[in-house]
Amino acid sequence: MSQQLLASTRKGLFTLTRNGHDWRIERHAFLGDNVTLAHVDARDGSWYAALNLGHFGAKLQRSDDAGKTWTEVAVPAYASDDVIASADGKPPKPATLMQLWSFASGGANEPGRIWAGTIPGGLFRSNDRGEHWELQRGLWDRPERMQWFGGGYDAPGIHSICVDPRDARTLRIAISSGGVWESRDSGASWNVTATGMFATYMPPERREDPLIQDVHQMVQCAAAPDHLWVQHHNGVFRSVDGARSWSEVANVQPSVFGFAVAVHPKDPATAWFVPAIKDERRVPVDGRLVVARTRDGGASFEVCRNGLPQQDAYDLVYRHGLAIDANGEHLAFGSTTGNLWTSADQGDNWQALPAHLPPIHALTFA
Amino acid sequence: MPRVVLASALTRWLDPAAAGPGEIALDAAGDTLAAALDAVFSHHPKLRGYVLDEHGGVRHHVAIFIDGTAIADKHRLDIPVAKSTEIYILQALSGG
Repeated sequence: MSQQLLASTRKGLFTLTRNGHDWRIERHAFLGDNVTLAHVDARDGSWYAALNLGHFGAKLQRSDDAGKTWTEVAVPAYASDDVIASADGKPPKPATLMQLWSFASGGANEPGRIWAGTIPGGLFRSNDRGEHWELQRGLWDRPERMQWFGGGYDAPGIHSICVDPRDARTLRIAISSGGVWESRDSGASWNVTATGMFATYMPPERREDPLIQDVHQMVQCAAAPDHLWVQHHNGVFRSVDGARSWSEVANVQPSVFGFAVAVHPKDPATAWFVPAIKDERRVPVDGRLVVARTRDGGASFEVCRNGLPQQDAYDLVYRHGLAIDANGEHLAFGSTTGNLWTSADQGDNWQALPAHLPPIHALTFA
Repeated sequence: MPRVVLASALTRWLDPAAAGPGEIALDAAGDTLAAALDAVFSHHPKLRGYVLDEHGGVRHHVAIFIDGTAIADKHRLDIPVAKSTEIYILQALSGG
């Protein structure tokens, strides 16, 4: 079966198919609607598409035939007494589902199990492919949740879920802005595990507080699951001990700010980033769009620019906008200005998709 | 019985077999807005999540008009309705 790439955009879900090095748009679904994220379950081949319809709320659709047809399934729901609180001074308010922000499949021995992280910062579990969802109270009811901050959204949210391939009961999640948390019992109990991260934007006495670390994205090497990479609000961090501790990777070129990170599925020392001018501007440095790649665990970085615009480029890549395939050869990233680039050689060379897509939220290989 | 009119922005998400082109009107038994909505949702279960949030309030960006007047409190749906009442459900519009 040919390789496919799902582009979740502000105006629909676009399915791309690869022929050699060339990708073309094969079909679209939900044209005109805001598709915020897609998930491909490699265990059973099902596809999931998260929609945020604005007026009518967040929805979830599932396809059992690789995107030809879709069926609406249930979405996670909060109880009437659940509240959103954050430690940055916003008053508490009732929790309602604002956005489906992350998905992960359960283990090979857990068919049908899907994890979903939402804004606000609840983690939900489905054991029946999205027909029913259960809030993981072991995390939601932790008093420390009240210390989390909102990130770019109004409420804290879970954007990264890593299911340990060695033992699917072990989960690691990352939260904007609530650090990294780990469960070893399928989500029943949790510990914060952001030691080593620091937040330069906080008052000095709170810089190393694990509960407020603004992780933008966290990824895990499939072949070496103790190796995780984080793109954080003020830098890049790496763990080689299963998230127990984190070390700063300070020399990402041309900047340490960004949202997206990808790790090679077989080589934990190889990772990619799409840097931008930090914080207030969020555009490529000097108008040149580049990908930063390390092959030595962050000791050094190459700047990949072949095939990428090197003048007047103001593309921003969101946290789910950079994707790598299961073999670690093909990469793709899409920008908020609707441009999409692919690489067949781990980022050495890039090709622009000849299309003008809507703003791209996320890319997912199938 | 009260008549519930669903805007086309809503009907396009209904089961295709049930949805007509554009807006549709349904007869809905009930003597309150809540009862009339429940009657509609009993025929179109998915519609509930489009009109109401998970706590039963009307979504922030959904408007409900009863005989031409928008309901004032999105969390109080025990509003009496008559057999001749027309209930319009549509997406709230703002500037732009």
